[in-house]
Amino acid sequence: MKQLERSFYSKTSMYSFFVIVLLFFSMWIGTSQFKHIDMALIGYMISSFIFAIGLTVRMCSWLIRPATHQVIKRSFKNLKTKERKKRNIKSIATTAFENIVLQKFIFKRGLYRGIQHFLIAWGCIGSFAITFGLTFGWMHFDLIDPDTYQIIVMGIPTIIMPAHGIFAEMVYNGLNITALMVLVGVIMAITRRIRSKDVKVTQRVEFDLFPLYLLLAVTGTGLLLTVLYTFLEGWMHPYMSLVHQVTVVVLLIYFPFGKLFHLPIRPLATAVPLNYQETVKVDTRACLKCNTPYSSDDQIEDVKGILGAQAFDLKLADGSYLSDYCPACRRRIRVMKQLNMEAPLGNPYDPVQTRNGIHISGFGKKRQDEFYNKATKSDSKQEERV
Amino acid sequence: MNKIMYLEFERCIGCRACLAACRECGGHDAKERNYVEYVDFMESRQTYPMLCMQCKDPACARVCPANAIQITEEGVVLSAMEEKCIGCRNCTFGCPFGIPKFDFEENKMYKCDMCYDRSKHDIAPMCASVCPSEAIRFIDFDEMQELRRKRTQMNLIEGKKPAEHDKWQYVPEFFGVYSD
Repeated sequence: MKQLERSFYSKTSMYSFFVIVLLFFSMWIGTSQFKHIDMALIGYMISSFIFAIGLTVRMCSWLIRPATHQVIKRSFKNLKTKERKKRNIKSIATTAFENIVLQKFIFKRGLYRGIQHFLIAWGCIGSFAITFGLTFGWMHFDLIDPDTYQIIVMGIPTIIMPAHGIFAEMVYNGLNITALMVLVGVIMAITRRIRSKDVKVTQRVEFDLFPLYLLLAVTGTGLLLTVLYTFLEGWMHPYMSLVHQVTVVVLLIYFPFGKLFHLPIRPLATAVPLNYQETVKVDTRACLKCNTPYSSDDQIEDVKGILGAQAFDLKLADGSYLSDYCPACRRRIRVMKQLNMEAPLGNPYDPVQTRNGIHISGFGKKRQDEFYNKATKSDSKQEERV
Repeated sequence: MNKIMYLEFERCIGCRACLAACRECGGHDAKERNYVEYVDFMESRQTYPMLCMQCKDPACARVCPANAIQITEEGVVLSAMEEKCIGCRNCTFGCPFGIPKFDFEENKMYKCDMCYDRSKHDIAPMCASVCPSEAIRFIDFDEMQELRRKRTQMNLIEGKKPAEHDKWQYVPEFFGVYSD
């Protein structure tokens, strides 16, 4: 493996190469040795290859980040552990269904946003599935007899359907259906971006708006093609199909580098029930100071590891780390330190001790001079010990 | 522009106006992102306001596996981008100051963004604009320097002497140098 890696410019280029080889191989099988290749889709094919390379490059640079690397490493370790089999399967299944298929958490952010995202997401995934299936020749249609079509997937004959049946019509119009979903979703999203003042605070034109207009252009031109050949007898069809091709090429090349890249990284959400929190809102690790459960051991270990890998020195004088304390205690530690109230008497990480054991009220009262003398004395004693 | 947030914890009277104001800020979705807490309830009723430090190199962004926490050109550390955040809560444990909050229902993290839409245009953030006791202030850099100098002098008058190895304990906190 090392030897192989060294024959490439970098690991990323090696992975990109293998992705391309794999795609070519799948094309070779799907089109039965390039016999059924659709030359009209050659532009889409080339841009899909660029899309695959871009995706690989972006995935690699994302995985190199210390935080992502740590989480992925732990996920794979846990996936290999046999004792966790039940938990692994359960967390993958629930994340895939609730988080990715149903997108429940977006519906909780608002019904409008939920519907909008659901339409765009499934419209896009459906369109991509159909487009890639056709451009790479993974599936094509065969005429068995004048009235019957057969769908051939990867060279294997599958469903037989009457050429003008309802199912056949749905298959032919698959892209139109998904395009309509995307169109409705995108219009909803653009309306929200224009109307809602809240989203305007942090939205950026090139990051948040450009992909929406791009998707609008793709679906708009794509649906216009259908309109042209069904109602206008193919008027301007060749030119329009070229325009559509250009928009799709731009989308495919933009995809790995913009907002839409959140789609391939979403499955990482499985890592949360898999590694950190088996049941939502149930914490297992107790805060070092107040004993309130606030996280899990694995997660804190990961956080410490990630911070350590990036040279964050958050170790306290007594050897504990700031991430060993719950957020509320961390806030308090900061304030105590700031106010110089970090218990000059006794352990600074214990509750505040007063000189005479009686807790007087507040900072407002002036302390006796001995207090400060004693504090400095104990300081100097500590120094001597060091 | 060269404005900063200036906090004086002792001035906090615990009215929680800053929390109410925070809830009103655009994009905050009626949830407060700052804190008002008791220093030590058993000893006194002294409260302190707590906001994000807007670190130059934020630990929360560094521990995010999805690269969801972005920093604006003015140096404001924003909440996790909703489309990227996977809801792992690493940021809440990585932050040395315990600032980020997490919404389990909507599966996203949210944190103080210094009311970006306001402070971007040189207007004080909501919390600073309502604080009646000036525990939270949005002031010029020079004014802050003056206040710190005065504060150090007062400490000396009170008899709190800065030790040789940590003089920083005796000067108040400032953060979020907005631009320079």
